Amino acid sequence: MLGTYFYHEIIRKTIISFGTLFNDIYIRHTKSNANLDETKVGLSYGPMQKFLTKIQEQEQLTKSIAVTLPRMSFEMTRISYDPTRKTGITQTFKSVEVGSSKIKKVFMPVPYNIEFELNIFSKLNDDALQIIEQILPFFQPSFNLTVDLVSSIGEKRDIPIILDSIDFQDDYEGSFQTRRALIYTLRFTAKTYLFGPIAESSDGLIRKVQADISSGTDTSVAKREMRYVASVDPITASPEDDFGFTESWTFLPDSKDYSPTRQEDI
Amino acid sequence: MSLNPFFLQGSPNEQYLVQDLINEQLKIYGVEVYYLPRKIFKTDNIIREIQSSKFDDVFLMEAYINNYDGYAPDSDIMTKFGLRLKNEISLTISREKYEEFIAPFLEGLSSGIREGLITEYDFADLITRPKEGDLIYFPLGERLFEIKRVESEKPFYQLGTNYVYELSCELYEYENELIDTAIEEVDNTVEDEGYITSLILAGVAATATATATVGTGAISKIFLNNDGSGYTSTPTVTFSDPPSGVGTVTAKAIAITTSRANVQSILRLELTNGGSGYTTAPTITITGGGGTGAAATCAVGSSSVNTITLTNKGKGYSVSPLVTIGGPVTGVSTATGIANLDDDGKVDSVNIINPGVGYTVAPTVTIAGVTTVGFGTFVYNETITGQTTGVTAVVRDFRRDSTTSTIDPTINLRVALNTGKFGAGEVIVGSISSARYVVRSYNTESYDNPYDVNEEIETQADNIIDFTESNPFGSY
Repeated sequence: MLGTYFYHEIIRKTIISFGTLFNDIYIRHTKSNANLDETKVGLSYGPMQKFLTKIQEQEQLTKSIAVTLPRMSFEMTRISYDPTRKTGITQTFKSVEVGSSKIKKVFMPVPYNIEFELNIFSKLNDDALQIIEQILPFFQPSFNLTVDLVSSIGEKRDIPIILDSIDFQDDYEGSFQTRRALIYTLRFTAKTYLFGPIAESSDGLIRKVQADISSGTDTSVAKREMRYVASVDPITASPEDDFGFTESWTFLPDSKDYSPTRQEDI
Repeated sequence: MSLNPFFLQGSPNEQYLVQDLINEQLKIYGVEVYYLPRKIFKTDNIIREIQSSKFDDVFLMEAYINNYDGYAPDSDIMTKFGLRLKNEISLTISREKYEEFIAPFLEGLSSGIREGLITEYDFADLITRPKEGDLIYFPLGERLFEIKRVESEKPFYQLGTNYVYELSCELYEYENELIDTAIEEVDNTVEDEGYITSLILAGVAATATATATVGTGAISKIFLNNDGSGYTSTPTVTFSDPPSGVGTVTAKAIAITTSRANVQSILRLELTNGGSGYTTAPTITITGGGGTGAAATCAVGSSSVNTITLTNKGKGYSVSPLVTIGGPVTGVSTATGIANLDDDGKVDSVNIINPGVGYTVAPTVTIAGVTTVGFGTFVYNETITGQTTGVTAVVRDFRRDSTTSTIDPTINLRVALNTGKFGAGEVIVGSISSARYVVRSYNTESYDNPYDVNEEIETQADNIIDFTESNPFGSY
């Protein structure tokens, strides 16, 4: 029943957009002579094929160290419909395909909330504090991203990323045989939109508009008096062309009517 | 009631004998491990953690492996942060050996700090026993372990005293600490670990050369009357054609854009060809680039420099060299040019900024040579310093990639523990080797770390995100 293949990669794009917020965060440490050394905090999407993890991160089976820190990971945790942003289900809009002049008919997108977790794993409390302090001030509680959700029609939407909660786990108690684990978890909601299939519209581009103006509202009695014509200039212009507009007013005391089907005055 | 006085519950001589037997056993059945004491740069006493440290001393000692049946199963686990290894090892070392062969050296460090002779780092004043937080290099598998717990009472007071320490260790969680013990196998454990950035250095140098031609009725000056705004990419510059005739050439130019306070505008127009045969000043049209408002006019002179052609692109350049054009005999106005480099450190083109006026013969064009030619070989763990930025870093790897060229191989330098970002064109000098090179380019992306995909995310996001203003979190 559903069956029409389409894949705009919207969820993937939302994941990438979310990730790019946090891919350039540095921390600093004091080393000798009070110099500060900088470390860029590594970032990855958390879920991963297990075998790929092994062959990438443990090429040599006898890896010398446990892990390098600090590092961050993020992952999508939930997708849910957002009824507060619902629009009319039959409402459509027209758009022009990028790189051509084809008209596309697009149904209004369906609002979905995608929830994300950003996890920060550090050895030192100070590292985690440096990282989250560089993140939190930008969320009040949301930060807007403009994302090209459907590249075929260049549909850019503002997606607010809302910071929902900040939790942290600091397992410093207990046996000395276990190591302290310091993990901060920031939860976010991205308010994105999912688009359905995009069909080619049978409608053409509107290049010319013509309106006949009558002296009254009852057109069976009142005959037209004036004609207003507006058209793009040149008339063959495409959306990506550099075009202007031509307007004309014509006085028509001929008491005729315009037939849209015959495209002439009768 | 008291103990039987006719028996000794551990005389010193008996205790020495047991200690000697244990030492002998450790020498026979143990393995040689390295003990690395932690030196502290910074301690935060409020949130109570040592925030920065280094390991540059090393002591060889024999240790018995208690978990002789190997590491616990499932020591490698998949986490949301990728692979995490949790290999644990339990080692037994001789108390006497530690106290007699390691503690005196540590006492030397400790007293040096107390007396103010050592100020670079701090050192926990505890020297009489192995400390938690210190490292053990375990040669079987070349692993680096951190001591989590030291047990001193097991076996429990045999003949009234204890003879060994039992060290519970777990694989080290590395965070860009400097490990510089001068023992190659120890230092190399972190050669490829942590945040490593890479530089490409300028190698063999050659000076570029160029020639100029003079044209009659060529553009003699460009006036940028309005620099416009919103030019997110380079706009196209076109000149109207000269009157048709033999030897007439339409002038060509490129626009150089700039950005100030998030407004992208045109900095200047550079002529790639000054044209010839113009009798009146042509009109200049600036289109595209996403911006509006830029406007320029020009003047036509009797004879001006209209082309500069490279005869040798040179090599080894890291910053645009100075271009000097000879003045006209008439002395009216001397032409000026600017060199553009390609990614390989060669001069790609020389454009004309001011074509000059009054040339009767083609002037000479001189492109400045490379001021510094790289030499030397950086050594592992030495500190390099950028002579312009003052940034320092520690060398992890230095190699010439002869597969690209045997005459002018690409020179790669990988460094860690940066204090900032190196600038293209600056000279870097090694503290030990005195090697000296010019930085051609610097990449802040973490080198060869499979976990970090920061750059990949940024690259893909560039295609879909519209940061019309700017990314407040920074960008590459």
